[in-house]
Amino acid sequence: MKEEIILAKGLTKIYHRGSEEIHALKEVSFAVAKGEFVAIVGPSGSGKTTLLNLLGCLDTPSQGSLRLDGTEVSGLKEKDLVKLRRKNIGFVFQQFYLLPTLTVRENIELPLLFNKRNSYQSKIDEVIELVGLSARAGHLPSQLSGGEMQRVAIGRALVNEPKIILADEPTGNLDSATSLKIFDLFQNLNSQGLTLIIVTHNVEIAKLAHRVIHLRDGEIAQEASSVGLSRKIRR
Amino acid sequence: MNFVTLAIKNLLRRRGRTILTVLGVAIAIAVLFSLLSFNSGYEKQLSGELDSLGIHILAVPKGCPYEAASLIIHGGVIPKYLSNSDVEEAKKIAGIEIATPMLLHQFYKDEKPHIVYGINVDDMLRLKSWWKVEGRYFSQVEDNVMVVGRSLADKEKLDVGDVVPFGPDKIPFTIVGILERTGTQDDEFHFLPLQVAQRVFDKPDQVTTIAIRVSDISRISEISSQLEEIPDIQVVTMTQVMGTIMNLVGSARTLLMSVIAVAIIISAVGIMNTLLMSVNERTREFGMMKAIGASGTDIGKLILIETLFITIIGGIIGLLLSTLGSTLIEGFVKGIIPYSPAGKLMAPEPGLIGLCLLFSVIIGFVCGIYPAVKSSRLTPMEAIRSNLE
Repeated sequence: MKEEIILAKGLTKIYHRGSEEIHALKEVSFAVAKGEFVAIVGPSGSGKTTLLNLLGCLDTPSQGSLRLDGTEVSGLKEKDLVKLRRKNIGFVFQQFYLLPTLTVRENIELPLLFNKRNSYQSKIDEVIELVGLSARAGHLPSQLSGGEMQRVAIGRALVNEPKIILADEPTGNLDSATSLKIFDLFQNLNSQGLTLIIVTHNVEIAKLAHRVIHLRDGEIAQEASSVGLSRKIRR
Repeated sequence: MNFVTLAIKNLLRRRGRTILTVLGVAIAIAVLFSLLSFNSGYEKQLSGELDSLGIHILAVPKGCPYEAASLIIHGGVIPKYLSNSDVEEAKKIAGIEIATPMLLHQFYKDEKPHIVYGINVDDMLRLKSWWKVEGRYFSQVEDNVMVVGRSLADKEKLDVGDVVPFGPDKIPFTIVGILERTGTQDDEFHFLPLQVAQRVFDKPDQVTTIAIRVSDISRISEISSQLEEIPDIQVVTMTQVMGTIMNLVGSARTLLMSVIAVAIIISAVGIMNTLLMSVNERTREFGMMKAIGASGTDIGKLILIETLFITIIGGIIGLLLSTLGSTLIEGFVKGIIPYSPAGKLMAPEPGLIGLCLLFSVIIGFVCGIYPAVKSSRLTPMEAIRSNLE
């Protein structure tokens, strides 16, 4: 088996709302190998985004352990979580969250600013080309289509050269043709060795992943390999 | 790209709000700068005005308060008089270099007040050695002649040699000289030989004040005591005049300071409110930033840079506003303080400009620190919580 980049054991997340306890995740355990493409599916409220946020070090588990590229995440301080995020994780959101006054190039450059890697222009050019936006580099988000905006968000996730890309409903705001193009891009990135974990409602798109984790009520209901399913994008 | 360009681009996102906040700061700094430069200019100008009198002591009629001396300096008229014999008595005191009587009279022409000084010209030239005249001075024995200040000559379109009807009986007076501009209240006055003024305004043997210069200023208090032994005379030294005026101005200054304090507090609350609103609106954006690698310090730094931009730009605009509007502001302040020297009262100094800019930076820090800390402490999850299932 390939080397594990993510190892989750008994991951539990409890939120408190007044006196009420909400068990968003209940003892979830799984592993993700380097270079794997995993889709997390499930109905609303099943804990998909909570799991993704724990994997992205945006939140810490209430119980259980999570190892990310060999580092135990539970109990790390925010300062160390920031370092871990910068080094390992690229995030893609459903709503893109592009800064409206920054151009495509500047939006992609943003993580480098926080990572204190300002003189990294060739990397930005490379990423812009990779996401197919060379002709749009000087445009503002308001001048782009939804698909192009998501490409910018993907470029932004890639510029720090992360080991894992976590995408939360990356095609949730896109039409089906554009969604497939975005997945084409994801598959391309995955074929270059990048580990991909995607939360999606879209079953057709989930079928394109190596493995699908079904969540229900905060637990893994089913874990299935997509082998046998067509991994060719049907346009 | 760096944090500064990112901050500027963020501020440009909500231009209207940013401009209004900058204006709020600008107004507060303009008011602060105006008052501080007025304060520094006022004392300087007042002490310059008192020096320009060239005298150390004013002898005024008994019963006059110190304020009367202030009025006299500024050309005001008081309805009490000393006599020529008081002048002679005063002159006898040892240590007095010059004791020159003056009669002040005020009349209205076209509803504008005109101040007339009846003087002994030789004594005045010794007191005011800097006086220069276009034309000539009059001699004490001449009749129906006068010298006028430059501003008055300009206003009334008077030239040397002009003959104008003067006094209650409209006697023709010849203007023999026009004083070169002194930058003091002298520019506004009519000067007549003392005896002529006494005759024209029907004040025979009466003088308003005796201006005294002593030969040794360390003896001012000793000479003052001797002068006060003359039954009709009350003595006011220039130090007392200065003190009295500064006291009078003090309460007006306190009022102005309170106005400034209120302006600054309102401005600061406005800035903080704007920043907090902006921070709340951008909570998800900060969550995204944290997700892509920003630390709490990075977010806090961004907010603080944005705040400092607002306050520093506001500070610079405030300084410009204050400088451009100084005439207007000076007119307003002069209107509410009880005594103001002639000449320009606002004296903006480089140190003061630096102080006001520093103050705008401090406002920036004070107002920005809470929103910065608040946003930096948000966990990424709290920030993008609305995405939570």
